[in-house]
Amino acid sequence: MRAVYPDREDVVIRDGFEVHYEIYGDREPTLFLIPPSPITHSRIWKGLIPHLARHYRVLTLDGRGNGKSSRPTDPIAHSQEATLGDLVAVLDATNTSSAFVVAHCHANWWAVSLAAAHPERVEGLVAIEPGVPYLGRPQPHWVETAPHWDEILENPTGWQLNNRHAITTRHRDWVEFFFGEQLVEPHSTKQLEDAVSWALESTGEVLAAGEEGFELDFPDKETVEHMCRSLAVPTLTIHGERDICQHVERGKAFAEITDGELIILEGAGHLTPAREPVEVNLAIRRFVDKTRGKPMKSHVWPRGMNRKKRALFLSSPIGLGHARRDLAIAEELRAIEPGLEVDWLAQHPVTTALESAGERVHPASDWLASESGHIASEASGHELHCFQALRRMDEILVANFMVFQEVVEEGLYDLVIGDEAWDVDYYWHENPELKRTSNVWLTDFVGYLPMPDGGEHEAYLTADYNAEMIEHIARFPRIRDRAIFVGNPDDIYPAVFGPDLPKIRDWTEDHFSFSGYITGFTPPTPDRVEEWRAELGYDSEEKVCLVTVGGSGVGRALLEKVIRAYPLAKEKIPELRMVVVAGPRIDAESLPQHPGLELHGYVDRLYRHLAVCDLAVVQGGLTTTMELTAAQRPFLYFPLTNHFEQNFHVRHRLDQYGAGRHMDYRSTDPDQLAEAIATEVSRVVHYHPVESDGARRAARLIAELI
Amino acid sequence: MRAAYPDESGQVERDGLKLGFEVFGHGDPTILLLPTWTIIHSRFWKMQIPYLSRYYRVISYDGPGNGRSDRVTDPARYSAESYAADAVAVLDACGVESAVVVGLSMGGQYGTRLAAFYPERVRGLALIGPALGLGDPLPERAGIVENFHRPYPEDPRGWDKYNLAYWHDHYQDFAEFFFGQIFVEAHSTKPIEDAVRWALEGGPAILEAEAARPRPQIPDSEIFTKIDCPVLVIHGIEDRIQPHQVGEEAARLSQGTLSSMIGSGHMPNVRDPVKVNLLLREFVERLGR
Repeated sequence: MRAVYPDREDVVIRDGFEVHYEIYGDREPTLFLIPPSPITHSRIWKGLIPHLARHYRVLTLDGRGNGKSSRPTDPIAHSQEATLGDLVAVLDATNTSSAFVVAHCHANWWAVSLAAAHPERVEGLVAIEPGVPYLGRPQPHWVETAPHWDEILENPTGWQLNNRHAITTRHRDWVEFFFGEQLVEPHSTKQLEDAVSWALESTGEVLAAGEEGFELDFPDKETVEHMCRSLAVPTLTIHGERDICQHVERGKAFAEITDGELIILEGAGHLTPAREPVEVNLAIRRFVDKTRGKPMKSHVWPRGMNRKKRALFLSSPIGLGHARRDLAIAEELRAIEPGLEVDWLAQHPVTTALESAGERVHPASDWLASESGHIASEASGHELHCFQALRRMDEILVANFMVFQEVVEEGLYDLVIGDEAWDVDYYWHENPELKRTSNVWLTDFVGYLPMPDGGEHEAYLTADYNAEMIEHIARFPRIRDRAIFVGNPDDIYPAVFGPDLPKIRDWTEDHFSFSGYITGFTPPTPDRVEEWRAELGYDSEEKVCLVTVGGSGVGRALLEKVIRAYPLAKEKIPELRMVVVAGPRIDAESLPQHPGLELHGYVDRLYRHLAVCDLAVVQGGLTTTMELTAAQRPFLYFPLTNHFEQNFHVRHRLDQYGAGRHMDYRSTDPDQLAEAIATEVSRVVHYHPVESDGARRAARLIAELI
Repeated sequence: MRAAYPDESGQVERDGLKLGFEVFGHGDPTILLLPTWTIIHSRFWKMQIPYLSRYYRVISYDGPGNGRSDRVTDPARYSAESYAADAVAVLDACGVESAVVVGLSMGGQYGTRLAAFYPERVRGLALIGPALGLGDPLPERAGIVENFHRPYPEDPRGWDKYNLAYWHDHYQDFAEFFFGQIFVEAHSTKPIEDAVRWALEGGPAILEAEAARPRPQIPDSEIFTKIDCPVLVIHGIEDRIQPHQVGEEAARLSQGTLSSMIGSGHMPNVRDPVKVNLLLREFVERLGR
């Protein structure tokens, strides 16, 4: 799922070719984002659009040859004149009288052409890794390979692939090589996958035509320099110092010749909008607001010593467990620190729990892109590839981090508490100068683990992500003022982070405090179980089997499998009463019906039912299984396929408690399931007890920071 | 020792009166820091100048009656219009066409007249705790005008000391009282010491002349209709000299930005210099090019 979708999209048709454009947001002024085409398209702006569109009207297009635009293979269709015409046509079609232009790489030549030909339509130019030829210094590999463009080379490799024949016959090799070279920053696997996949939406023929078209009507050095020098608009140049497509000297020269601002990003390569989205977002905003003369907002500033203590709590919407445990922690924190004000930056479904608890949900929560919606969109059947889903959530994390950062800069908080707030943890490590408050990181698992189906490549990726996290914490120990593992050292999965990386347990014990598990509720004592059952409408004779799949929208497949097993199980256990809870995202009416089978959409305080059932059939999520463990209930759990957390971390933890019976979704048929239900229902269990003081322990650890 | 020394200093003569000015830094735009009530002189900007002058050219000067300016006792030299004309003379002497103008307290009187009568010289106007007649005075200060020329009580308390005879008899005690009212923030011993010392460089005769100044030609309630430039108002909510309501009203009338400071008194530029410096910088940066 994307972080934002356009408010409007359409095409202009020029010379018979469709040029697609998108508009996001509606606040003046307009920012016109021009990607370099046809090597890539408008998705390169995915880290910027969600943030910029909250502040401005953002217009972007797919240039000819890629994205949702036509794929001309004639070089003339890619000339400067043709492209310039497209830009003007898109401005006209969208009633954009003038805009700030943001361009990447060689699209800056078009941006300069636009500003020179139509100065009244360009208010300012943000030139990112600008590829305006002749300026500064070219990279030698372009100079060396250009003369051989039309030759047929024997087994070209590396930069030799910059050749018409190679590009048209070995398109993928070229784009993989090219972007592999450009992403000089470590841990750029996702950015590389993105860049290659966008390039491969076009073809080698189109790309070669684009290269030729670009130079078709190119003026001489003097003309280019004159155009740049005469630009009547303010410019901001942003350039990765290690860029090996456009030499950083070129960016410096562009800034100098246009008498503009220059930001060099040290250690960064050619793709700073993808690799340094936070800094690029902030730089663009500073430039636009400064150029426009945006007035200051009225505000209230309390002197330091006149402030109340304030915390901002971020509670992950992925999985159901965070809301309740975070509420329990907040309550304990306020018991220690009575004047503490807590704001919550959260999204559905966490906000529902918070609002019914009377908590203050920060209004900026409305701006958050939906993480739970993304996870739901990634799930199918009984499968959720949780690691890949998190990777593909990258643009949502940037979008939400930018919201968070604005909230934290205006909110005068003493403390941020992030329960699996991946965005904050990642981007404060990546942009450590933005940290404004004390910071607590909470999690119930440490370490990405590869699923066997993913093979070597997935093992490489999970190790790379783990290595990045370890490097982050080693380099910036000041970002996590306190890291709390919601559990005990024995709960940590016994594995290493990856080849040549430490053992997860050793590292976690060195870098975390342990709160014990936090259920967020107290299960009934054995003598009160009957009382609870009576309250909930379960009599003591019947065997209540609760079937629930949580709220993430993944689960219809499991529900249907259990329902198929129901008649078989009922035959074996006549007093069986099966209650299926579909959750808010699955329509209970649409499930198969059986006489005697109860189907519910939503059940208020489901954990109370789970606490007194005779058997539960659930997925492998930590919250629900640990609620059952704490309540000493028998249960069958089916981890989602390819969900590393449920398959490794949660299962290992349940094993520590001796709790639950692990089931494999793919290999379990209805007969086996009925048999398991019959065997397990009403079984007396003796799990290792779950601590009940976890929230207080966590709160004490947090309170030391305020 | 001072944190920053002027790159240039001098005196400009206007209509027979010499005014001492100082210029710091070279950046663009120019920031003109206005004088305030002449009980103190331009050193009250000491927390702003080192910072702002790293980015901008900063000009400060002493108003008539204190610092390095002539000790004049002609009330006409203390009118708001006269102060505005002085500011223009300083800008002219420094070769500055236009500046961002910053005024504290009575500087709000002067800055608004400068912006209204010489709009081409003012790019933006920042007012800190402006002394403008835009609201009811604080109850404890309600009688100060009518009691000013009367004999003061035998055992004067509080604002009883805002009295011409008392000034002449107990000038330092008045200054200590007055700056105690300005610095309501806890732990303000040093700012009070500074201000009292600066006050002693002037004297009661100067304040007497200032108190007899002519009324402004355009009342405060109308002055903002003559002002087009962007306005920032910074006002302490605990201000015991000019109530916060005055700042609110000034921001409203000017369609400007209001920065309200919880826990702050009348001179946040001294007591919360970091915040005020950052606000002024932000204001300047957002004026556009």
